Amino acid sequence: MTFYVTIIHRPEMVPEYLQKGAEQGKREDLTRQEVIQESLDIFRTQQQIAHENGLRTTIQMTYASLFNEEAVALAKEHHEKYGDEIGSTFLGIQCQQFREKFKSKELAIWLFSMEDKRRIVDEVMGKFYEVFGFYPTSTGSYYMDAELVNYIKERYPMIKVAVATCWEEGPKAYHNANNSWYTLHDGSPWNPWIPSKRNIHCPASDEEDDIGIVAIPHLSRDLMAVFDGPGSYYGTHPQNILRGMVYEGREIPYFMNLVDQYRAQAKYNRGYAYNMMFVGPGWMSKSGRWEADYDFLLKAYKDGMAYYGQLKKEGKAQDVTMSEFAEIYRRDRPYTRPECALWKDILYGSKRQQFWYVDPWMRVCLDMNQGGAMIDLRPYAAKLIRPCGVGTKCLQDASYPFLVQSLYRAGYFTHYAGEGAVKSCKFGHQDEVVDLCTCRTLASFSEEGDTRIVTLDPVEIEFADFTIRVQSVFRFAEGTGEIEMIRRIIETTDPQAEVTIDEYITACYGTTEYPEDLTGVKLTVTGTSGTESIEYAYKCREAEVAGVTLAEAIVPQVDTRLTMRTDATDAIGYFREGFAFSPMYTIGIRKTVVGKGELRTWLKVEKAS
Amino acid sequence: MAQGRKGKLNYRCPRCLMREIDMDMLYDRDKDEYYCLRCSFVGNEEEVLRLNAQFREKYRDRARRITDF
Ligand SMILES: [Zn+2]
Repeated sequence: MTFYVTIIHRPEMVPEYLQKGAEQGKREDLTRQEVIQESLDIFRTQQQIAHENGLRTTIQMTYASLFNEEAVALAKEHHEKYGDEIGSTFLGIQCQQFREKFKSKELAIWLFSMEDKRRIVDEVMGKFYEVFGFYPTSTGSYYMDAELVNYIKERYPMIKVAVATCWEEGPKAYHNANNSWYTLHDGSPWNPWIPSKRNIHCPASDEEDDIGIVAIPHLSRDLMAVFDGPGSYYGTHPQNILRGMVYEGREIPYFMNLVDQYRAQAKYNRGYAYNMMFVGPGWMSKSGRWEADYDFLLKAYKDGMAYYGQLKKEGKAQDVTMSEFAEIYRRDRPYTRPECALWKDILYGSKRQQFWYVDPWMRVCLDMNQGGAMIDLRPYAAKLIRPCGVGTKCLQDASYPFLVQSLYRAGYFTHYAGEGAVKSCKFGHQDEVVDLCTCRTLASFSEEGDTRIVTLDPVEIEFADFTIRVQSVFRFAEGTGEIEMIRRIIETTDPQAEVTIDEYITACYGTTEYPEDLTGVKLTVTGTSGTESIEYAYKCREAEVAGVTLAEAIVPQVDTRLTMRTDATDAIGYFREGFAFSPMYTIGIRKTVVGKGELRTWLKVEKAS
Repeated sequence: MAQGRKGKLNYRCPRCLMREIDMDMLYDRDKDEYYCLRCSFVGNEEEVLRLNAQFREKYRDRARRITDF
């Protein structure tokens, strides 16, 4: 087993967090020059802490820092002395030279127009070359759109790795920042991946689709806490944890718990696990931040780094620079290999587990607190070309669309009316119906060849007159884009009782909490009794067929074909249109068994066109 | 009364924090109290710290070292 750790420091001259204050100059307590000096001091301190713990870093030179002789000299010295990598970043572009050249206060590289992105890339890379005499092999930002990376690769093919997204920094991060922080890019993998040329969020399908870099996420996030909370509270960034106030006194065991949980993911990923830590100087401001004074900020950073250092000394972690990591990653990474995470709550004291899965076809999250319900589904197979930035239709909305996101679109629980987005299974007897969403359980992980298997502990379903025990099994066969779902009644107190097993997906599409227009979504069911099909028009229509062979939803808005099939010959297939107060579509497969029995279905996402 | 200013530690509004909105408060020197521009919270440092401690209570495992994965 190998746990790789990438430590990144960036000499930011005027961190974006301090930008406003610094621009106001002497009216506040810090002058611009003092801010720059303080930032450099903090950068130097961070470097020193890493080196004292025997860890090498990747120094991501900001554009502004390329004009600062002290920053440049430090980078060169640390490269020589400690073997740190000198890379580049598109964070921290703002400085006097930038404003003179580009006449803009924009700070986010992905939000410029494509024309500006090209000019800025050339300027940043050109200046880097002028200063160091070579081009960097690593770069990054909070988000790097595929169009930007494609241009970089075309002009600067030596780039092999980039910090490419912040995991689930979408609407939640925006709200957390009083609706003023425009990192709207939900929907990527949480751990490194090789992106598609078409969309950075999607893992590449093959060599032709390979964008040519390894993407690493901005920080390693708590996969459960961040899915339902601010990204900037729960990650391998000690000051993020201070922001989230996950401490008592001045101790932060949560940081080590998080690192250890990441290490444990090696069990589900053939011995491989990863972490990255990336803290800009603004987070360690001498005047304190997030209710923490400088001493606490410093202690948090030292403690975090000391833990990585300790793991390295014990042979439990390997520190790698960004480019070294990219080479190692590519050495053993077939395109079809998924990334899996069986994650557990380490914050709230519940036993809750979620299973995350990513491959070139989809990203999926199963929630064991809801009987294994699918609460997130992103159709990567569609490889949506979705440029962002000024002059594009998406502009700031750089998220990869979902079909299911149960937190943005209700899931099982809705207020009195309608349905929410979720994939689950219902068990019925006469007029009683129990949804597995109400059956809390736990899961275990196993492998059979190239199939990853998530097996849930059986749950009990009580009807008025009898009780059944039900087990769910999810099988992810590598390279198929399909998930097999088995719902099995393993015990019953009434062997004569009829039970219907109803596997369904209620879905929509979108990137935010707000509904999108479903007009034109095509719902079809085909069976031995015939075919039924409608185009979505909010008319509450339903249809079913006997001997179902396929239930299908085509969502042209996200170029996705979603299908369900079964190996049962006597099952019923159905679809259900929604209405404007319930903007969802449902497809499902239902079967009746007597006593014990099972329903086996396969869910698939494909590109529609 | 003079304009509100940044407090010494950039305190966020504890009420907004409880709904996961990071909202810096302004500090009124004359009254020695913080106030929020978004919700109607007002309170002195002691009150802010009291509510922050309450916020942390939701993290039942905040002080626990977990090694079993
Ligand atoms: Zn408030």
